[in-house]
Amino acid sequence: MSKAIGVVAIAAISTLGLNTHLLAETSGTFRQAHELGFGDASSLDPIAKGRVFQITEKIMNRLVRPGLDGSPSADLATEWTSNEDATVWTLKLREGVRFHDGSEFDSADALYSLGRVLDPESDSPARSAVKMIEKAEAPDATTLVLTLNTPFADMPLQLMDYRLRMIPEGSGDSIASTGIGTGPFKVEKFDAQGTTVLAANMDYYEGAPGVEKMEVIGIADGQARLQALLGGQIDMERGITAQQRVMLDSSDKFNIQAIPTGNWRGLVFRTDVKPFDDVKVRKAVRLAADRQALVDLVTGGGAVVACDTPVEPNDQYRAAMTCEQDIAQAKALLAEAGYPDGIDVDVHVATLEPTWPILAEAYQQQAAQAGIRVNIKQVPSDGFWSEVWMKKDVSATRWNERPADQALHEIYLSTAKWNESYYNDPAFDELLASARRELDFEKRKAIYIQLQEHLWETAGTLIPYHVTKLVGTTARVGNLDEVKNDAVRWHKITVK
Amino acid sequence: MLRMLARRVLLGIVTVFLVSLIIFSGVEILPGDACTAYLEREAQGKLLENCRTELGLDRSASARYLDWASGAVRGDLGVSATGRKSIATLVGDRLKNTLLLAACALVVGIPLALFLGVVSALNRDRPADLIISTLTIFAMTIPEFVTATLLILVFSVWLGWVPGIVLTSAGAPVSEFFPEILLPIAVLAMVMTAHILRTVRSSVIETMASDYVQMAVLKGVPYWQMVFRHVLPNALLPTINVVALTVAWLLGGVVVIETVFNYPGLGRMMIDSISDRDLPVTQAIALIIATVYVAVNLLADLLTMLANPRLRTAQIRH
Repeated sequence: MSKAIGVVAIAAISTLGLNTHLLAETSGTFRQAHELGFGDASSLDPIAKGRVFQITEKIMNRLVRPGLDGSPSADLATEWTSNEDATVWTLKLREGVRFHDGSEFDSADALYSLGRVLDPESDSPARSAVKMIEKAEAPDATTLVLTLNTPFADMPLQLMDYRLRMIPEGSGDSIASTGIGTGPFKVEKFDAQGTTVLAANMDYYEGAPGVEKMEVIGIADGQARLQALLGGQIDMERGITAQQRVMLDSSDKFNIQAIPTGNWRGLVFRTDVKPFDDVKVRKAVRLAADRQALVDLVTGGGAVVACDTPVEPNDQYRAAMTCEQDIAQAKALLAEAGYPDGIDVDVHVATLEPTWPILAEAYQQQAAQAGIRVNIKQVPSDGFWSEVWMKKDVSATRWNERPADQALHEIYLSTAKWNESYYNDPAFDELLASARRELDFEKRKAIYIQLQEHLWETAGTLIPYHVTKLVGTTARVGNLDEVKNDAVRWHKITVK
Repeated sequence: MLRMLARRVLLGIVTVFLVSLIIFSGVEILPGDACTAYLEREAQGKLLENCRTELGLDRSASARYLDWASGAVRGDLGVSATGRKSIATLVGDRLKNTLLLAACALVVGIPLALFLGVVSALNRDRPADLIISTLTIFAMTIPEFVTATLLILVFSVWLGWVPGIVLTSAGAPVSEFFPEILLPIAVLAMVMTAHILRTVRSSVIETMASDYVQMAVLKGVPYWQMVFRHVLPNALLPTINVVALTVAWLLGGVVVIETVFNYPGLGRMMIDSISDRDLPVTQAIALIIATVYVAVNLLADLLTMLANPRLRTAQIRH
């Protein structure tokens, strides 16, 4: 009897399953734009400088990807474990996944894809994410073993890098134009400057995609992209400004999502030159900033205040700190450091980043109250990164998001190539290394928080906020995950 | 006549040569070079060295100029910094698209300008003239990007009659650009019509007031015969130069229109190359636009001379 009920129940469930499958029919075309940032160097090679990530994210998978909460979750690797000191990581790969050309994904492909990034000759910008991998091996078809040159408890986080996508073994020379991966969509026609057409991959391992076609269209001009969205020529635009938001909000033909990111713009004071070699002066120049006012003035409210931490607001390691403007303390610190009459500072900006001049002017007003006389020097955008940044005592800077550990390493480690503030603190370096060795999550988190608090006391980098991205879609788009680009499950999207 | 032709052509070539010198030294004076511009933060060590060798930046400025200039004469504009592709190939499609846009705007704009110009001149100070002249002032003084945005708003966003933004790729056949190209044509034709129209109007008014027309009127020549046989041939001569200037402006000045509408032409390519910091491409396009400008003006001068016996003979007497 009970067995019969069970059978009925199973039958019912499977009919239900069938129904939902029928409802979720693959149909329609979803259109979005990309900003054509690399012109004719645009490429489908996920690790090339000209990678069009708006395409690669839909056609290729990673080993590990960010879950909706940002934590590492399974993609082409289903599980991972490390040895006791976190120097050897073993990953189990998903079975039965096929590339768009029909070949099966296995450890040889994973080995090859990682190897291309790790090759010192390849000069891929993605290398910095995984350069701790000393050796990668594949003992069998579904296992990958990574041996690191340093203990690294958060190795899975590094593998989430948006560029570390799996391509078929030996396809390095052709991948730039073929774009063969395992993702929910496959390339039908690649034309970066025009319209790239992607077709649904009905064999996708997570199930058939919700839309039949995706078109990714190159539109370099931000205004033109907005017009295209307003006119219904594209369905999604991920770079809506705060001013444009007002226009979309008032219409029921569009939806807006606000997604906090790890991208930041700020000012960097070199810690190796006078007067910023004095930690008191460094703290004073940062205390003089009214961050909420900067957020409102520069981004129209579209940002989250940061207390000079490069760790993004939604990162699991972000330290919760407050940093109100404190003119009295800034003045006191300057006096203590031997500058009772204040200091003169030349801040170098360029229009390379359109918000820099506004940021500098707003800061100029705020800092003046503390006796910090800011003189804004506008320099040409050409040669900014080679002649001004890391050369002049004070300049504007900008960084795109990185995992907490990577951000702290790339911006503040004394030996880092892009240690823009020439920050040199052996205690910080040592603490940072210990975090990578710590396998216990809570303890590791405590260390990262301590590191950020240390930066608030001592750093030479003013990080006033992290930019919030506004994503506009037409009302016909459904099931777009309200998360960062990087974690969106593109196969879920539907259009009416 | 032939000698004068040769002289004008030679002068044109000298102008282009001088322009090329200015463009090249302009780029030279910029801080950094094509490689530091393209590589941004990564401009150091081996990557920078490789890039410089590949683009030949390790040689002296004069050697590079000679190379660039002699290449340009042969139609070889070098390779782009971002994609390492032949600039001549990249420019090809874009030039075709800009020419398509310009040609369509001319086909619509010139007849319209001539017609409206003559109509408003013959109806001087009457309602038709007042309306046309007022609209002309609007078309001339409102910046193109405002007109463009307004047209997109009305015809694409509100009415939904035509697509607002051009999504067709640069290499697509001409037929695929319709109907997306309609709005850019409308904006260009508007501005162009306004400029030509004003010249036509004042020129026709001037001719109508001249002695020989008065004489014709007194002798009883029928009105329309007088207009078509005696006024227009003389009045339209000065407009050749305005049309030429407008054509030159069309080819170089469509930058704004192409950017607003995302039209894959030479102008947008210039803007893209500037934001990509691709100096070789910027340099090449600047040279192309300058050459076209000089060539079109030269052509217009020659046409005016051919059409006007007085200018022709005056030159010969020298």
